Amino acid sequence: MIFQKSTSKNIEQEVETVANFTEPQADEVETVVGPSVNVEGDFASEGNIIVKGTVAGSVHTSRFLSVEPGAKIMANVRAGSAKIAGEVKGNLKVRDSLELTSTAKVAGDIEVKVLSIEPGALLCGKVIMPGLESADGRPARVRSRRGEESTVPAME
Amino acid sequence: MYVYLYDNFLRQKKHDSLIKAMEVRLTDYGISGKILRLNNFTDPKQIIDEEIRRGAKTIVIVGNDATFGYVLSKAATCNCLFGFLPVGPNNTIASVLGIPEGIDGCDVLSKRRKERLDVGWMNNRYFVSQLHVPPAQIKVIYDERFAVTTKDKMEVVVCNLQPFYWKKDKKDKTSEVVHPQDGKLEAFLRPLTRRGWWGYKYEEPSIFPFEEMEILSNTPFTVEADGKVSKEIKVKIKLAHSKVEMIVGRNRKF
Repeated sequence: MIFQKSTSKNIEQEVETVANFTEPQADEVETVVGPSVNVEGDFASEGNIIVKGTVAGSVHTSRFLSVEPGAKIMANVRAGSAKIAGEVKGNLKVRDSLELTSTAKVAGDIEVKVLSIEPGALLCGKVIMPGLESADGRPARVRSRRGEESTVPAME
Repeated sequence: MYVYLYDNFLRQKKHDSLIKAMEVRLTDYGISGKILRLNNFTDPKQIIDEEIRRGAKTIVIVGNDATFGYVLSKAATCNCLFGFLPVGPNNTIASVLGIPEGIDGCDVLSKRRKERLDVGWMNNRYFVSQLHVPPAQIKVIYDERFAVTTKDKMEVVVCNLQPFYWKKDKKDKTSEVVHPQDGKLEAFLRPLTRRGWWGYKYEEPSIFPFEEMEILSNTPFTVEADGKVSKEIKVKIKLAHSKVEMIVGRNRKF
């Protein structure tokens, strides 16, 4: 019995040390602009960006950008992929996919490969999507007005 | 050759037995060496440079977080291998480095698992674990590209080795942990907003990884780097890549 108890404790200790060792690797820090924080200038990051406050100037990331509800971006945005639930005043250039949720307000042109718009999202600007060529060989442009849903079909 | 830098508080009787036991263990491993005691008025860089000149290869800091910060803030540029033996209260950096407290620390030291660490540079000195600016009206400029401001006061914590623990409010029992990344410093900004007539309320923190940042203010603000407090108007913080070579444990958290 004594031996059994000691071995189980040892195993528990080992598991704990392994858990302690692996814990930090699972947790990845990314750039977070918290609420009630104002960022001004060329805001660039190599990692993911989560915006909950206000950003003015320009935003650039090669990875994922998330604009939370209540957040305001008054800047041109370039990102790998993005999910917008807040307000954006400026042009959006997204490499892969862009998702506009029902609370999103976008005033500016969008250039994106895959676009998904939830009902209720507000969009005012041109949408340019590569892949759908028009008669003159240029990428197709879809014009939408404020309060109207884009004519581009929503893609899951 | 090993040189041991003992903190002044280790003269206290309560540490005697542990220090004796550690010295015996170090002698068993054949890594005992010269013992020097640090005082408030001694410059660790001068001492270490002198010992390196005499042939020292490994400098071992014996004490707590304050000792570790005090020695490395001055001596980070010294060309030698550093070790750390945590003794006494206030030892949080040791766990990050994977060095157990007490006699077991000697085992880690004897294994000589070397790792190069990034250190932060602040105005004219280095910091290893953390830099803290208590709530003040400040402006933060990152990489000379963008500025971060708030309406009211803001608290700044810059993490290098040590993780940052924060709570949403006083009632929040689970403290959130953000672990430092490699190759960059992490700055955590917590704005404060007025709550009614009295007091302030902490907002959700912002996180910015960076290589260079400036903290500016019109009025002097307090800066605490590795336990050393000073008043500044402008602080420039940079990252010095792989500056310190250190003996670390297997269970290190980076």
